[in-house]
Amino acid sequence: MMIAVRLLIDVLIVVGAYFALAGTIGILKMPDVLCRMQASTCIPTLGVICISIAGILYAACFLHSADNAVKIAVIALMILFTNPIGSHVIAKGAYKADQRGAKNLKLNPDDYGRDFNE
Amino acid sequence: MIELLIGAVFFALMALSLVFRVAKGPSAADRMVAGDACDNLLCCAMILFSMYTGRGIYLNIALVGAFLGIIDTMLVGRYLEGSL
Amino acid sequence: MQKTRFSAVLATFILCMVVWVLITWSFTVQELAAGVLVSLATAVFSSRFFAHGDSFRFFNPVKIFSLLGYSVTFFSELVKANVNMAKVVYGGCKAVKPGIVKVPTAMQSDYGLALLSDSITLTPGTITMDVAEENGQNYLYIHWIDVAAESGEAAGEAIKGSLEKGTRRVFE
Repeated sequence: MMIAVRLLIDVLIVVGAYFALAGTIGILKMPDVLCRMQASTCIPTLGVICISIAGILYAACFLHSADNAVKIAVIALMILFTNPIGSHVIAKGAYKADQRGAKNLKLNPDDYGRDFNE
Repeated sequence: MIELLIGAVFFALMALSLVFRVAKGPSAADRMVAGDACDNLLCCAMILFSMYTGRGIYLNIALVGAFLGIIDTMLVGRYLEGSL
Repeated sequence: MQKTRFSAVLATFILCMVVWVLITWSFTVQELAAGVLVSLATAVFSSRFFAHGDSFRFFNPVKIFSLLGYSVTFFSELVKANVNMAKVVYGGCKAVKPGIVKVPTAMQSDYGLALLSDSITLTPGTITMDVAEENGQNYLYIHWIDVAAESGEAAGEAIKGSLEKGTRRVFE
């Protein structure tokens, strides 16, 4: 029984590290700001979810401490609920700052600029 | 379990490699996105390291990081938008 | 700005108290009394921004079960979008075709719009940039990393087809 839980924890850590590495490489290699932001969304979704499930399993099955498990769940829920708000605000800010200064963004259908830039 | 420590070191190395984007990034929004991702990765590393050592004190650090990570992002975002 | 109502203060107080107990996880009298004081102060000052309309809508068990069903739908969409984004990144970041599309939505209430746009932002590949209203119809401006359809209805069906059904079941 314990060996199955250990294997499950290992698989969850590997899957979480895979998607977090995808987000990191995306931030380092994508061409412009908004695409980097799209790639970075991989980190707080499947990276944090897999790692926190692994942490909850370890705290419940090996450490036998309920408060650590509940605290990890609160951390994961907090990141999941607050991340889209910051992401939305900074996407809008990046678009407006780009329109004011160097126009580096290449957007093929740009409905936002068509409706708000006259 | 040594693999918890290996995972924590891997996540910390990913956060360290994002410092390149924070230092180089052409615009302010690039630096802010990289810093935010750095924050989330360090939360994951703190969770794994706390489970490896078995002490709950590292979870409090991750908790404060998760709660305060939103505020600087929203502040810089509203400043870039021009409505602050 | 609306006035502070008692039911809104009570709902916010219960939420703050639950979060306090989950974080501290100690049930001595001193900790609980400190939690009551902090939660009451937070609820009195912030309930007018937090609870609009019916404050106790989530004490209805039908809403809670529909929220659980929606989270299952959302998680399957999340896994699909994550796998697509990982394919794009590990393939060398070449297959990107970014653009901003304007998508009509049928949601009317503020909470429904917030839940729908947060879900769209949280799936990798799409970010909601703004919400606008024209002639009683709400529109979302969505940045999409791989534009497959430029017209509003087709893009909306591709981005938020199953998410919007679940959101409407929760909030309308």
